[in-house]
Amino acid sequence: MGFRLQLVARPGVTTLIRYVGSRLLQAIPLLIGVVTLIFVLLHLAPGDPTSLWFHPDIPPEVMERMRESMGLDLPLHQQYLHWLKSFFTGDFGYSYSHFRPVSAVIGDALPATLLLGGAALLVAFGVGSAVGAWQAVRRGSPTDSFLTVVTLFLYSMPGFWLGLMLILAASTWLAWLGLPVSGMTSVDHASLGPLGRMSDLAGHLVLPTVALGLGSAAGVARFMRGEMLEAIGQDYVRTARAKGLPEGVVIRRHALRNALLPMVSLLGLYLPILFGGAVVIEVVFSWPGMGRTMYDAVLARDYPLVMATSFLFGLLVIAGNLLADLLYAFVDPRVRYD
Amino acid sequence: MVASASDFGRMAGIPGFRLHLPPRVPPVSRAPARFVFITWMLLMLPGCDSGPPRGAERTPAQESAAAEELERESRRAYSEAVDAADSIAHTEVSESDRYGGTIVVAGRNDIVTLNPLVSTDMESAQHQAYVLFTTLVRSGPEFEPIPWLARDWDVDPEGDRITFRLRDDLYWHDGVPVTAADVAFTWERVVDPAVPFFNPAYFDAWEAVEVLDEYTVRFTVRPSSNLLYGWAVTAILPEHILGEVPPSELATHPFGTVEPVGSGPFRFVERIPGDRWVFEANPDFPEALGGRPYADRLVYRQIPEDAVSEAALRTGEVHMVVDADPSAANRLARDSSLVVTSYPSAEYSLIAWNTRRDPFSDPDVRRAMTLAIDREAIARVVRGAYGSVSMGPVGPWHWAFDPEWKPLPFDPDSAATLLEGAGWADTDSDGVREKDGIPLSFELYSTPRQSWRDIGEIVQAQLAGVGVEVQPRTREQASLIPLVTSPDRRFDAFMVGWSRDVPLDDRDLWACDRVDDPMHFTGWCLSELDAVLDSMQVVADRKTLERLTHRYEALVVDAQPFTFLYNVETVLARTASLHGVEADVRGTWASVSSWWLDPESRR
Repeated sequence: MGFRLQLVARPGVTTLIRYVGSRLLQAIPLLIGVVTLIFVLLHLAPGDPTSLWFHPDIPPEVMERMRESMGLDLPLHQQYLHWLKSFFTGDFGYSYSHFRPVSAVIGDALPATLLLGGAALLVAFGVGSAVGAWQAVRRGSPTDSFLTVVTLFLYSMPGFWLGLMLILAASTWLAWLGLPVSGMTSVDHASLGPLGRMSDLAGHLVLPTVALGLGSAAGVARFMRGEMLEAIGQDYVRTARAKGLPEGVVIRRHALRNALLPMVSLLGLYLPILFGGAVVIEVVFSWPGMGRTMYDAVLARDYPLVMATSFLFGLLVIAGNLLADLLYAFVDPRVRYD
Repeated sequence: MVASASDFGRMAGIPGFRLHLPPRVPPVSRAPARFVFITWMLLMLPGCDSGPPRGAERTPAQESAAAEELERESRRAYSEAVDAADSIAHTEVSESDRYGGTIVVAGRNDIVTLNPLVSTDMESAQHQAYVLFTTLVRSGPEFEPIPWLARDWDVDPEGDRITFRLRDDLYWHDGVPVTAADVAFTWERVVDPAVPFFNPAYFDAWEAVEVLDEYTVRFTVRPSSNLLYGWAVTAILPEHILGEVPPSELATHPFGTVEPVGSGPFRFVERIPGDRWVFEANPDFPEALGGRPYADRLVYRQIPEDAVSEAALRTGEVHMVVDADPSAANRLARDSSLVVTSYPSAEYSLIAWNTRRDPFSDPDVRRAMTLAIDREAIARVVRGAYGSVSMGPVGPWHWAFDPEWKPLPFDPDSAATLLEGAGWADTDSDGVREKDGIPLSFELYSTPRQSWRDIGEIVQAQLAGVGVEVQPRTREQASLIPLVTSPDRRFDAFMVGWSRDVPLDDRDLWACDRVDDPMHFTGWCLSELDAVLDSMQVVADRKTLERLTHRYEALVVDAQPFTFLYNVETVLARTASLHGVEADVRGTWASVSSWWLDPESRR
């Protein structure tokens, strides 16, 4: 699946559309596979939502009625087909742990996750590429070695631990910064002006973004350093230097641009990592997003909600991959789709 | 963050019946009245895992553990003294200066709905009874009913009819008066089988309702020992809003999640799911019920991580953390800007023995288990200074609790003697006792929470000391419940935490005619106890009820179908700028109208 590298360029608009179309078609069986797998795994786990509601005062026939109303009395394959059918007609079902329709629960949580994931992606790639490039240019220097240690350390650290350390720092030594350690908005958010709201949101975004993005940024930096070193060693860089171009221009225009190319494909790889990491980071920072919703839903055996959230996560990952491939074609004229 | 430790939820609430959810386990609807496992338990403290020091020699580790405990106790005493001084020191803030500001309270669990007909968790119950809604009566310190929405009531001479006269100055937040029709409507719905109300048993003795006029309502009742208790914990609902909703649709109606309309001291402002609920002071709340609350706004925030709520407390983002982590209490109390208090909770934990099977069919073996387990040490490990050995089925906070009662001691020697007497001896010197060639070995189930694992290890080590082999087993909540409730009961013993209720109706646990019911875990029953428990449900006289309760305690403790482990005290950590918080077993929010913030720390 994907593209073939060819040395003859010219991706026409029609081929591009055809490519995107075929990728989207391929995504459908993939998504069905994902939700089927989740469905089976979920039902393999012992217990169902009603076993958690077990109560001596509820007559058995009421329990049975509850199971019926949730469709839990049907054989598994029928439950599955039922779910699939309503799902494709746009009905995500009713969340029994939130007492609300699944679409409403997700409607509240999805923007929060997109915001956090997007910000973390910016941090991961912005900071990561900058640090990596910086290291490559100063290869072998004490700064390079130091940054290598730091990036390796951050890369190895689990996100939740990093998050807890950030919270510790923000509530003690960095308390003067006044960074909020939990939630997405302040309690007086609604009473602020548009600018105030934005800065309030930005303030709340800082710590979770750093916690989520820093590990990935370290990974990106490691990768970028390697790419950049490779680019610096290329003939065209030597040529550029030989032309007498200033070193800054050589690095920026010739080395950096070429080194950034493969980073685009990295983007597609990091999307799932970031969204997966959001599950944990959202719990740590009380961020009202999809990750936390999904986590809670799994523990509550809230089948419709787990299915819908995992479907959306799958969708985000597939969309991210497709986007990365398309971007790659955009930045690299050698790539062509057929 | 410790990975997904799923655990049984816990019922608490106003004592005993609502689900109090464990960290990060989302509230599930209709959780079991007692089927619910302890929430906050901690990591082990150093030096406590191998039981108590035996013999005269104390190792340095034991010394430091003792010193630590001393500090813990003194910190606790200090913090409580600060709390007591607080009320005196702030008398200079005049009554009128106490109004204003936004109070932010943090808890582990989200309030998923404020619809009293469907919610089961502690925080929801508290917000329904004390914040957003009003109840017909309230519970006094001894759980005696005191007038609230009902100005007064009388019972006719035959004792089968009770007439409530309601206040005429209470209004729904949309301006409609609260009337007798609302009371009748609420009762009709909570007892409706199509409505998943968590404990309709509170209204078992209530048979019919009749609205006499706008502010008078009469019920037909049967004798009951806790007749009015259900009304102290059930929020009255607006008939003019929900009256047209079919009962089967009440659970999914957006009333509880999107647009709740109450009649309490605070009005609903907004809710951000997974984050917070915001309420504002109701200026029209009747003076006689406390009037307008001091705080302009009240916010409940969900912060699932303990470390984060602690940080938020220190940065001033929140003013109070309910049910704080007891292992953090000592650390928090050291901060002069914080105050740590506690109150007895209805929650306790226990080991249930399956008396249907050997070896626990023998009461001597069960007694030996209790004697050989150092429950004091377990309470200390799990709850620090905020727990105590549990003695029996009735909570020490309950008015009927027998104050003369002493817990069974930690006495491994007597345990060994009992086991010898029961025929269990270590004949092959492998460290495990046998009888008829069968080793004294059993599986001890619990959920996989760290605290249960720790307790499992302690029990394992201590019982090994008397020649009993314990194999701790963990099962996720959703699979443990079927294991211990299914008819074949394929288990020896399991550990669980749940809450006691104020009405002492434990027939589901012990009654002989309910041995096959799911909640009859142990299979142990006694005809004398049946008679005692039956009488306890109908006797209204408290002196008699007290005598019966003491008999109930004695019978259960003698037979040890449970080994009662420890009682929980709920820890409240708050900033020193928040005053007026008076919490007891009735709950944290009971005093919410009189909470106030220092003028200089208001936002």
